[in-house]
Amino acid sequence: MWSYTLRRLLATIPTLLAVITACYFLVHAAPGGPFDSDKQVSAAVLANLQAKYHLDLPPWQQYLFYLNNVIHGDLGASFRYADWSVNDLVAAALPVSLSIGGLSMLISFFVGVAMGTAAALRQNSAADYGVMLVGNLGSVFPSFVIGPVLVLVFALWLHWLPAGGWDDFKPAFMIMPVALLTFINVATIARVMRGSLIEVMHSNFIRTARAKGLPTRIVVLRHALKPALLPVISVLSPLAISSITAALVTETVFSIPGLGKLIVNGAGNRDYTLVLGLVVLITVLAVTLNLIVDLAYAALDPKIRY
Amino acid sequence: MQDKIPRNFALLALCAALAAPALAAIVPPGVQLHPTQTLIRNNGSEPETLDPALAETVGANNITRDLFEGLTANDGDGKIVPGVAESWKQTNATTWVFKLRQNAKWSNGDPVTAQDCVYGIRRFLDPKTASKYATTYGVFLLNGKEVAMGKKPPADVGVKALDKFTVEIKTAFPVTFLPQLLSNNNLGPLHQASVEKFGKDWTKPGNMVGNGAFMLKDWVVNRSVVIEKNPHYWDKDHVQLTRVTYLGVEDGNADVKLFESGQNEMVYQLPPGTYEDAKKKFPKDVRNAPMLGLRYYTLQTQSPAMKDVRVRKALSMVIDRDILATKITADGQAPAYGLIVKGMEGADMTDYDWAKWPMDKKVAEAKKLLADAGVKPGTKYTFTYNTSEYHKKMAIFAQSEWKKKLGVDIELEAMEFKVLVKKRHDGTFEIARDGFIADYNDATNFLALVRCDSDQNLNFNCNRKAEELITQAEQNDDAGKRKGLLTQATKMIMEDYPLIPLVQYSLPRLVKSYVGGYSLQNAQDRFRSKDLYIIKH
Repeated sequence: MWSYTLRRLLATIPTLLAVITACYFLVHAAPGGPFDSDKQVSAAVLANLQAKYHLDLPPWQQYLFYLNNVIHGDLGASFRYADWSVNDLVAAALPVSLSIGGLSMLISFFVGVAMGTAAALRQNSAADYGVMLVGNLGSVFPSFVIGPVLVLVFALWLHWLPAGGWDDFKPAFMIMPVALLTFINVATIARVMRGSLIEVMHSNFIRTARAKGLPTRIVVLRHALKPALLPVISVLSPLAISSITAALVTETVFSIPGLGKLIVNGAGNRDYTLVLGLVVLITVLAVTLNLIVDLAYAALDPKIRY
Repeated sequence: MQDKIPRNFALLALCAALAAPALAAIVPPGVQLHPTQTLIRNNGSEPETLDPALAETVGANNITRDLFEGLTANDGDGKIVPGVAESWKQTNATTWVFKLRQNAKWSNGDPVTAQDCVYGIRRFLDPKTASKYATTYGVFLLNGKEVAMGKKPPADVGVKALDKFTVEIKTAFPVTFLPQLLSNNNLGPLHQASVEKFGKDWTKPGNMVGNGAFMLKDWVVNRSVVIEKNPHYWDKDHVQLTRVTYLGVEDGNADVKLFESGQNEMVYQLPPGTYEDAKKKFPKDVRNAPMLGLRYYTLQTQSPAMKDVRVRKALSMVIDRDILATKITADGQAPAYGLIVKGMEGADMTDYDWAKWPMDKKVAEAKKLLADAGVKPGTKYTFTYNTSEYHKKMAIFAQSEWKKKLGVDIELEAMEFKVLVKKRHDGTFEIARDGFIADYNDATNFLALVRCDSDQNLNFNCNRKAEELITQAEQNDDAGKRKGLLTQATKMIMEDYPLIPLVQYSLPRLVKSYVGGYSLQNAQDRFRSKDLYIIKH
């Protein structure tokens, strides 16, 4: 297991390098530069700006310069936000996004598994249809529709929660964004869990357990749940990554100063270093999540050996 | 240069003297102030910097205007009033002397000196600072452009300290509106010791030393900038607000919802299409004032499609600005038929003669122009704009006007803002969406959009005769004659139809009715928080 973990960690290096390289040249190839604005910058000032951000170097030197900085943990200076480095910006936004995304994933997992289990055990009942309805609604309604509805109801009509913004991790500001992300994620988890558990409940080893006279509660908890969770575990990683994409909308709707807002602004402003820094960060997160999922897989299924 | 004191000097000196007692936040008699003087206002975006030399966006300048004060400043109505300088005089056509307040202090208690002003201007123009506005404003100062372009050292710029509290500024040519120009904090004083001590971190909370009515308390990127009253500010007794929180909410709908829920007291700008509803829903809070800004379409006069002035004129004539303003944008903007907008100083408005013609007559004339130019019905032109619902609505309207009235086809081309500006600068377009908001209240600011050798000229038209008039005006220290020359030049250039003026900007927004001091006369939308106060509610 340890050697597998080590091998996986080492494998992230070429992955990261490939992603950085591809992204580096893609962002530089995008039309419009970081200093293009309504006001035409004079040639002299443009030259000064390019020198300041090392854009006057040949592309390969710029690339090596950037790579060298990244290796040393320096994501560079932001082109747009002159007073901040990309490290500063990421350090401010990451905890916000992680708290919302992490909390949402945690709640989604437990609620989704519970809902999926209830639906699977009462297949074709009202409870099953209810769970599937919620699941489908979560998949069908986009977050930019649900988000404003939540604001309308809970902030403007009932005055229970703030309409948006962020105030040092105060729960009131987190409830709606977490609820929105959870609503989207829980639907996927519940549907996967339902399908998986139904399949497991029809397998031979469950039939044997039932034949031995074990009560359903024991059969489910001791024998069915663990294997049924495997497909759920496998969707957690892509779900967590897609939460970052969903956060683009969530953070806009609720005016949250997270990574989503940074990515959108960074791309629009051609803030090369900011976009690259966030790509590096998201890649590291994705690789880490995949690793955790694989390790969890091994822990849940003794047949899996690396 | 003779030492003749120009005719307008007496008037300017008088204005300065009259304006001197104009203090902040004049609370009208009978108005009771709220015990808590705090304000939350949305700024529309995250400031790109709080360094006044580098600030370029409206959002960044809004905050630096509270944190720093230039030699002059804008009052609540947008008029030029004394800032750090308590008075000034023009000693000859190109020399100005500013007397500083001896009680003006930095937020750490140090006095604001003439040397701070010299340092601020030199640093702003220094190529190492790489300010995007260096040439824009630098061009007016003696050697300013050369310094900004790295051809002369910063010490050569025409600014010097005559003594501890006297600054002399020499201009490259007679700049009658210099006090107006100096209200931009890019040209303001800086606290050299703190800038040099902290390097690029000098703008961070705890490091920044400013001389404005407020000082930086907290700054969380993409969330808020919090400023608090500066106890060392020279006019602190007339500053009512104790704390201002600037939000960086970009989404207009989210902004309005925050306002509705009481988390924001000043919306940056109402989202497109919501003005009429807002007037009904928030009748006491909705505010809308004209601005020194113009929405227009730039025509690439060198492109084969737009080379013929008759084509450009025909396209301009048939767009019904009244319908555009009242039905399409529908947010209180005024139709525009010229480059110079209402409220702009330094030149008169020069509307086209045909502006008041009935539309039938305009269409008939436009059709004739097109026929004379050999343009056949069904001819295709490309219209380029940046993706935005607002611009899209306007583009579809223009497309329909041109199709319906002239029979020409318009291909709409939407793109990201960065791509659009690059296309505009490269000249690879036929018709492009454009807009401009004044940096300073003088006609020359707008004329930069149409002058021959200007960086800002994206229509690639050049009228040498008009250029001569502008040059004459620039060398003229008689305000009346200067105005006449600039008006004539503007009219001449607009007859080339390098752009299609559409509407004069206005800024519809929501401001809580209990926020006092918010004027509808502030045409540059430059509100200093020192002029605002909270009424008891």
